[in-house]
Amino acid sequence: MRLLARITEGKSYHWWVRMVAMTAKELLQLGRDTVLVCAVLYLFTLDIMMAGGVKMDLNQGAVVVHDSDHSMASRELIYRFQPPYFKLSGEILNEKEGIRLLDQGEALVVLDIPPKFQHDILQGKPTAVQVQVEASNTVLGTLAASYSAQIIGQYGFDVALQRMGLTGEGLETVPMLDDRHRVWYNPNQEDAWFMSISELLTVITILAMMLPAAAAVREKERGTIEQLLVSPLTPMQIMLSKVISMTLVILIGTAVSVGFVLYGFFEIPIKGSLPLFFLVTALYTFAMSGLGLFISTISRNLAQAAMLVIMIMMPIILLSGAWTPPEAMPDGIRQAMYLSPLYYYIEMAYGILLKGAGLAVLWDSLLGLTLLGSVMFMFGVGRFKRQFE
Amino acid sequence: MKINRVKTLAVKEWREILRDRLFLSLAFVVPISMMLVFGYGIKMDVENIPFAILDQDRSAMSRDYLHQFIDSRYFDYKGDVANEDEIGHLIAGSKIRFAIIVPPKFQETLLSGRPIAVQSLIDGTFPFRTSTSKGYVAAINNAFNAQLLTAYISQKMGVTAEQSAAFMSPIKIQLRYLYNQEVKSIWSIAPAMMMFILLVTPPFLTALGVVREKESGSIYNIYSSTVTRGEFLTGKLFPYVAISCINVVFLWLMAIFAFGAPFKGDPVFFFIASVIYVTCTTGIGLLVSLFAKTQVSAMMLTVVVTIVPAVLYSGLLVPIASMDAASQFEAHLFPAMYYTDIALGSFLKGIGMEELWTRVAALLLYTIILWLVSYNLFHKRVKA
Repeated sequence: MRLLARITEGKSYHWWVRMVAMTAKELLQLGRDTVLVCAVLYLFTLDIMMAGGVKMDLNQGAVVVHDSDHSMASRELIYRFQPPYFKLSGEILNEKEGIRLLDQGEALVVLDIPPKFQHDILQGKPTAVQVQVEASNTVLGTLAASYSAQIIGQYGFDVALQRMGLTGEGLETVPMLDDRHRVWYNPNQEDAWFMSISELLTVITILAMMLPAAAAVREKERGTIEQLLVSPLTPMQIMLSKVISMTLVILIGTAVSVGFVLYGFFEIPIKGSLPLFFLVTALYTFAMSGLGLFISTISRNLAQAAMLVIMIMMPIILLSGAWTPPEAMPDGIRQAMYLSPLYYYIEMAYGILLKGAGLAVLWDSLLGLTLLGSVMFMFGVGRFKRQFE
Repeated sequence: MKINRVKTLAVKEWREILRDRLFLSLAFVVPISMMLVFGYGIKMDVENIPFAILDQDRSAMSRDYLHQFIDSRYFDYKGDVANEDEIGHLIAGSKIRFAIIVPPKFQETLLSGRPIAVQSLIDGTFPFRTSTSKGYVAAINNAFNAQLLTAYISQKMGVTAEQSAAFMSPIKIQLRYLYNQEVKSIWSIAPAMMMFILLVTPPFLTALGVVREKESGSIYNIYSSTVTRGEFLTGKLFPYVAISCINVVFLWLMAIFAFGAPFKGDPVFFFIASVIYVTCTTGIGLLVSLFAKTQVSAMMLTVVVTIVPAVLYSGLLVPIASMDAASQFEAHLFPAMYYTDIALGSFLKGIGMEELWTRVAALLLYTIILWLVSYNLFHKRVKA
């Protein structure tokens, strides 16, 4: 009894009681905002499912053909433009029609086969096929161009081998490289695996910045911060309770998402240690909430805070390798990437979830995130505390 | 609807925006800085892929073959490894994205005129990057095969190297990139960025502007005044549409002068279409503000309805044409896609009203529906 009494009289006991009470208050406040709860729930479930349905690769690009030869050879070439990359969507009679379809965005590739195509091939005369690619979207344009070139090149190669009488078993006697691939971690290259994880990381980033920033600015805007200031709470408690409660919300959301969407819906085989993943997620959320708190100190109302959050968040998301390959970034930005906590988090999230990597492999990313995160968090805390003085 | 009241409301709102200096500057700074960051930052090209080599043959021929990879600008050579375990470790730690293994007796087998398998191990976490890497590897292998076969044929059939090279590739490919001959990705990113920024920023400005009145309670002044619903919505939102229209001009100028994107279309048509688009996205903000009671939830709701579709369903990163049927359907439900067509059409293709009227009509219809729904959802009487 005496021990209990001593504990309850102790300073740290009260400190913790107040912490718990404040954290509960934050959670309650969030829970009562139905629209907000629905939005957060949506982001962690349906939104990630939708993102998983999106494919990055060229998928059934429309090919129209202008065939001036109408021979066996031209037909054989045309029929090599097949799904998944292409689909044939008709024949046109003149070039103008092709331009019109490209203008309208109804065709991606116009394939132009010259007259006497088959004749030239059989005679061994060189002939040329024209490929026009709609390149207003360069990603799509380059993909379509390279796949078309592959198809036509392969056809030419097959024709040449045929003329030499080398098919099937004959190939065993030719010096050639046989190109074999082994794709690790995602052997069937399911886009959904990548897209859904990427989207989850994006959602975590958005919420980890926005929720604490909003929770802090709201008190300022409504004037309830004055009440908190006259209470026995220290600035540290006010702030930590916000960060902890929002981190808790995000971790619960992440658990729902990993369990029901990633594992349940997309059937991603989760290879690594889930406790490690949640630990890293908590660390990341803390780091980003430091940024959120910093934003809350320089903005007087939520409108300002929201604009600042977008301004800081969008570059972080788009330039950290969540959606675009980080290796391809221009030099200056590639170095700036090392200052983005998301960069390290992405490395670790994919490492743990898909590759089954542990600390032995990921320690450098973890170190990077910890260092960067503590600097960011301390910075946010410092600013936050100073505004009470 | 009395013009006078609308004007007064618009002036009041404008003054409120003007007095919030930080907000005002952010309303212009955010779009411009986003344009700069993305314009210089987004690169979709898969280049500098880090890779390692396991050469089990160590012959002149294997070195010659592997140099094709080391010298390629698509790959970034990270060194040799001694065994397959090491490759596994490097890929797991994302130090390399793929590795190529040349088997023992590579040179011996090829010189004796027999085929040999070369294996590449590729990291599959980023499927788009994986398939592109595969494509590059295949291209290098094909080129090497062509070399081998050319030598083989000229030796076997007794013809010159040129003759056998022509024999090996009977069909030439004339590739033409329309609208963007040099395939500069910034040309297609700059117009797409206009779509993205004008979709994301106006709803934020608007939703927060309206919900702020709700949360602070100043909306009761409106409820108790003679101002009608229509007048309030028009007057309140006019300044936000005006800000976005100014941003349209800024972004357009940046796309052309800072990023060098060609503008081949009709500026007047493009400007009118853009005004419709920002009216539409402002309407999204309005609709959000009617559902949200607090600014926090307005913010989150705006994220849900703008940023996510703007990234996924607009054609910015993922081309609409390559989506599956369900995603394509969802893409058609968001305004972003239509404006992407208009922007790319006006900038790069030089097409106008004649070809793009369906997209403009879709945006217009979208705008009208949004505003009508908002008008009907907005009540001056507070529900009990």
